[in-house]
Amino acid sequence: MDILQIQNLSKSFGNNKIIDNLSFSVPEHSIFGFIGQNGAGKTTTMKMVLGLLKADSGSISVCDEKVSFGQNTTNQYIGYLPDVPEFYHYMRPEEYLTLCGEVTGLPRENIKKRTEELLTLVGLHGVNKKIGGFSRGMKQRLGIAQALLNEPRLLICDEPTSALDPVGRKEILDILKQVKGKTTVVFSTHILSDVERICDHIAVLSKGKIALSGTLSELKAQYKADCLVIEFANKKDKEQFIAAPQIVPYMDKWEQTDTMITFQVKDVSQTEIVVLDVLSQNRILPLKLEVMEPTIESLFMEVVK
Amino acid sequence: MRAYLAFTKKEFIENLRTYKVFIMVVVFLLFGFMSPALAKMMPDLLKTAIPAGLEINIPTPTALDSWGQFFKNVGQMGLLVLVIVFCGIMANEFSHGTLINILTKGLKRRTVILSKLTTATVIWTLSYLLAFILTYYYTAYFWKMDGMYHIFLTFFSLWLFGVFLISLVIFGGTLFKNIYGSLLVTGGAMAVMMLINILPKAHKYNPIILSSDNMSLLTAKQDVSDFMPAIIICSALIVVLVTISVMVFNKKQI
Repeated sequence: MDILQIQNLSKSFGNNKIIDNLSFSVPEHSIFGFIGQNGAGKTTTMKMVLGLLKADSGSISVCDEKVSFGQNTTNQYIGYLPDVPEFYHYMRPEEYLTLCGEVTGLPRENIKKRTEELLTLVGLHGVNKKIGGFSRGMKQRLGIAQALLNEPRLLICDEPTSALDPVGRKEILDILKQVKGKTTVVFSTHILSDVERICDHIAVLSKGKIALSGTLSELKAQYKADCLVIEFANKKDKEQFIAAPQIVPYMDKWEQTDTMITFQVKDVSQTEIVVLDVLSQNRILPLKLEVMEPTIESLFMEVVK
Repeated sequence: MRAYLAFTKKEFIENLRTYKVFIMVVVFLLFGFMSPALAKMMPDLLKTAIPAGLEINIPTPTALDSWGQFFKNVGQMGLLVLVIVFCGIMANEFSHGTLINILTKGLKRRTVILSKLTTATVIWTLSYLLAFILTYYYTAYFWKMDGMYHIFLTFFSLWLFGVFLISLVIFGGTLFKNIYGSLLVTGGAMAVMMLINILPKAHKYNPIILSSDNMSLLTAKQDVSDFMPAIIICSALIVVLVTISVMVFNKKQI
């Protein structure tokens, strides 16, 4: 089942078209990486899903219910972590979560239990100072706690890791991984290593449209322009290798430096057989022979070009 | 209802911990104490200001002078303090983005407005009552209370005008999402009402008399019927302003 469906969504600010006929859906129980450059429209899209911004056209449904601007009925299914979560600085974390619980209509005994659980999960248990004195990482973690309070079916995180140090980032990603079984996570970012670490589905937003979407493994297979890298011990070995007649058909598919050749080919295994034959026939021992898989980074660079 | 109570509780915590309640209480206690004290000391103060040898007959102050001071202090400075203390009531939520978490939790937008109106009104009422009680106590201690008519309506009028200012502040803040919006709308409304006051015929329909003509009602120079139209219009304006605020807020992109 798709927990979030977006169809033909458009949104402009003045003459500036931010989202242009955007459509995608998020399957249940996935961690969905929503990737895009700064200003690509990620936050705008998320705010429209939450009914905080009004869409110019198109429709959004959450758990098969239509989202309508200003009315927050579908928000009962959603937990939202803004890019820079803001809290009432004069409150303490427990007070804040209690307020959130009461506002969202959780039973009193549940609020107490969930507050304890979540503060432990995000590592803020027993922290009894006012939120005004929190570091950015602590605020982000409290943000996750408030987003998970009502056991949402859909957790939307807007660049949760962008402003954090490596330790803080790892903590946040670990928390997201932990909640994966219970809730679907949509997670926007431009940090591609984070995506590779935890996401199973991704969509790349570029110029207001989805430039690329699917599961991570599908995409890697589909865009398989793998490369084969051979590093030689010296220039002489390389010259000898290139001179071999079997290699000639691959001439236009390689890039070379002094002691390295990189093949950009569709069929890596076939190329690899030929290369190994040539190497053994000529008794050349390379320093390194490596098949490189496409990274999200290379996919991303390719589609946002 | 539970969400309303929860958010109202949050509003009270906010006003307590950001010292707004403290400021209001201290200022209005001061007014409550100052009004009878000033009335009592006025002849002595005047005497020191008059050059020696000049004979001027200064009437002995009465309870009415004390209440006159009360309406001057509370009706001008008091209302100004009220507006300044609460001018960020909507704007701060917008500029800090603190409403995003709460609204995405499913809090109805009208609850935000109603909670804020409730809190500000309760704080205003308490502060006003404090000033009233203190002035009443000292006035009764110094003088005999007589020559006072329409007591309830006189004090109710000024209170109602305070609530009117609160709803103006909330409306301005919702409309413009910043403090200047609140101040501009409130100041603009005051200016318009003062302009209207130039026309004698419009006088009794103008809400501003609820804060400026209290003494003439108290001393029965004006009658209840002179005040009723303004009271009705002021009440209606409060309801209209709050309703429009809710409607505007529902349409606001956050």
